[in-house]
Amino acid sequence: MIRFNNVHKWFKDLHVLNGIDLQVAQGEVVVVCGPSGSGKSTMIRTVNQLESINEGEIWVDGKNVADPKTDLNALRAEVGFVFQHFNLYPHLSVLDNITLSPIKVKGMDKAAADKQAVALLERVGLAHKKDAFPAQLSGGQQQRVAIARGLAMEPRVMLFDEPTSALDPEMIGEVLKVMKDLAESGMTMMVVTHEMGFAREVADRVVFIDHGKIVEQAPPEEFFKNPQHERAQQFLRQLLTPMS
Amino acid sequence: MNYNWDWNIFFKSTGIGSEIYLDWFVSGLGWTIAVALVAWIAALAIGSVLGVMRTLPGKVLPAIATAYVELFRNVPLLVQLFLWYFVVPDYLPEATQVWFKQDLNPATSAYISVVVCLALFTAARVCEQVRTGIQALPRGQSAAALAVGFSIGQTYRHVLLPQAFRIIIPPLTSEFLNIFKNSSVASLIGLMELLAQTKQTAEFSANIFEAFTLATVIYFVLNMSLMALMNLVEKKVRIPGMMGGAK
Amino acid sequence: MRFTTRLLTTAVIASAFAAPAMAEGTLDKIKSSGVIVLGHRDASIPFSYLANDPTKPIGYSHDLQLKVVEAVKKQLKMPNLQVRYNLVTSQTRIPLVQNGTVDLECGSTTNNLERQKQVAFSVGIFEIGTRLMTAKTSGIKDFPDLKGKNVVTTAGTTSERLLKAMNAEKQMGMNIISAKDHGESFLMLESGRAVAFMMDDALLYGEMAKAKNPGNWVVTGKPQSFEIYGCMLRKEDPAFKKVVDDALKATFKSGEVNKIYSKWFMAPVPPKGLNLNFPMSDEFKALVAKPTDKSAEEM
Ligand SMILES: Nc1ncnc2c1ncn2[C@@H]1O[C@H](COP(=O)(O)OP(=O)(O)OP(=O)(O)O)[C@@H](O)[C@H]1O
Ligand SMILES: [Mg+2]
Repeated sequence: MIRFNNVHKWFKDLHVLNGIDLQVAQGEVVVVCGPSGSGKSTMIRTVNQLESINEGEIWVDGKNVADPKTDLNALRAEVGFVFQHFNLYPHLSVLDNITLSPIKVKGMDKAAADKQAVALLERVGLAHKKDAFPAQLSGGQQQRVAIARGLAMEPRVMLFDEPTSALDPEMIGEVLKVMKDLAESGMTMMVVTHEMGFAREVADRVVFIDHGKIVEQAPPEEFFKNPQHERAQQFLRQLLTPMS
Repeated sequence: MNYNWDWNIFFKSTGIGSEIYLDWFVSGLGWTIAVALVAWIAALAIGSVLGVMRTLPGKVLPAIATAYVELFRNVPLLVQLFLWYFVVPDYLPEATQVWFKQDLNPATSAYISVVVCLALFTAARVCEQVRTGIQALPRGQSAAALAVGFSIGQTYRHVLLPQAFRIIIPPLTSEFLNIFKNSSVASLIGLMELLAQTKQTAEFSANIFEAFTLATVIYFVLNMSLMALMNLVEKKVRIPGMMGGAK
Repeated sequence: MRFTTRLLTTAVIASAFAAPAMAEGTLDKIKSSGVIVLGHRDASIPFSYLANDPTKPIGYSHDLQLKVVEAVKKQLKMPNLQVRYNLVTSQTRIPLVQNGTVDLECGSTTNNLERQKQVAFSVGIFEIGTRLMTAKTSGIKDFPDLKGKNVVTTAGTTSERLLKAMNAEKQMGMNIISAKDHGESFLMLESGRAVAFMMDDALLYGEMAKAKNPGNWVVTGKPQSFEIYGCMLRKEDPAFKKVVDDALKATFKSGEVNKIYSKWFMAPVPPKGLNLNFPMSDEFKALVAKPTDKSAEEM
């Protein structure tokens, strides 16, 4: 479904992605973790070309995303993206946030889009908030709406960039639950997160990235029990004792 | 001071046909509104396009918009008006020139010149406001829009501009008021808008203070109404849940 | 709204009264301050304008104004009386005289009934006829030829009023352009936006002298009105008015006015050395012979 082939990216002198090779199969859930500044966000954003790459190839659903001939808008319509800071459209109601892209990009008619949006809101447990505006929702609610918004395009892949790290602790659970349901429904997912509980429970594979390189990837049980790489060990230790 | 006040002057005959001085003010106000409103709509449209251009990726389009702003903001309005009225028409094809200068009613040709002038001048100022508004939005907004498959055009149309315009309503309001004030330059090319009619009344009646007092009152009321109108617009488009929004 | 109107009115009235009240006559004021303030224009060529020295006006009306200053000096026995200049515009000239800023304004101000309600006028210092300037080749000889044409005049002048009235009464279908000043009116004529320019004949000659090709233009048409220019002073000040009128009458009587006239209308004048070539009209000759402080409409 997603394949990185020796992907490099520089921000001026900064070598952010240093030869990434990675495959994500259909229906697979991959959790990406790593220290701050290691390039996780950059990497996941290259998948739908919110960040361009300088070298290498990325294939999504059989299309080379770095090829200038690829229709980026069509590609992005198939790849849902959930941001750390939700990025809901503040001027639109919850319902309109969800229906805007199906109507404008896919040409869906309003009634059908509304029906779909209500169904999605039910799925994330927010049907009663359809007429609210983003600023009237809690962070957790906003993030669930953002997930519903991504799903409204009926994507083949969902990407998450630290979806819970901007949330108060008591709201993290509700978002993770929605993500778990989504994974169980067979969605292909790439998730940047430090929620190791989620990784353990839901992920098929954990990818550890450091200095723009994948230094370790393994099924979660293996990764957590017996990390091979020294940086991964250090990283896990810090996660477990965050205050030290 | 031995000034002879006469507030009835506005109801006295001007000596031209059956007109009274008040008629002049009414017609002047009409021209002022006709100039300012039409120029404003054009300025808003042109300025928005330019403002968007300034925020686009790439080099050429932003550079064009920047050059436009520098040019139109820095040449004094009066100079621009004289260029549009006296110089530009001389470069039109012969037939158009004759039509513009002689066949067209002089009030119409003056009107066209002043509307073009004010629209292009104000567009430069609107452009800067629109640019500021767009740049004030979190970067995540355009990323979120692009991520669902919107084109750049759709991103601006549905996500960035609706938010940017809400932010810039207050500065746009003051540009809107400015265009009414600036419309008085029209009097310099013979368009009888409010200020021109005021001066004419002052000259003809020698009741200078009454004429300018009435003009002050009219401009004041006009300003207040426009401000009230913009407040209404601002309230109407206010986003629920945001600062000061309806609960 | 009613309240704001009243507020503004009050403000205007209050500011008007805040100006020095003129309980005393102008002569007393001049005597006690040792200064006479002369109002002048910046571009009423050749009546009152600034040419090479931005602090001191020159012109026909100004020369007559100086005759009055001489008379005041003599009357008050103040050979060292100081002269101060104050620039006025068509909008400020009346209030500045009224509120005591300016003691005597001599420029190109028409004496009319509306203005007489606000200020007093000296005996007439000039008389003009309102006529037309047009291109020699335009074929326009007189006002009836203007039917359906674009005609320019300067905003706020009697010509504007006459032209508009004529258009309304005789249904001539003219398009009247009101330009902001004489220079711009002439620009409208020169650039082909108007076929004729109606204005005071003296001013028309002034514009013609400034044209690139003065020979292309002609002043034509039967005068639609005569207007008498006068110096403005405060109302109800007979002592000062007498000094002003007597000084002007003396200049008329001695024939000195002819010399001053020739200097400004029949010879090159600053700043560009233009010659207006505008001979003294019969109407003005009559006025010099029989001075009056009445407006032309009253005569
Ligand atoms: N637009 C940009 N321009 C220049 N440098 C950037 C840009 N975006 C990111 N960087 C830099 O690239 C490096 C990787 O950034 P990235 O956001 O991918 O890290 P991350 O792993 O997601 O970190 P975090 O856990 O803090 O979110 C960082 O050093 C960052 O400062
Ligand atoms: Mg990140």
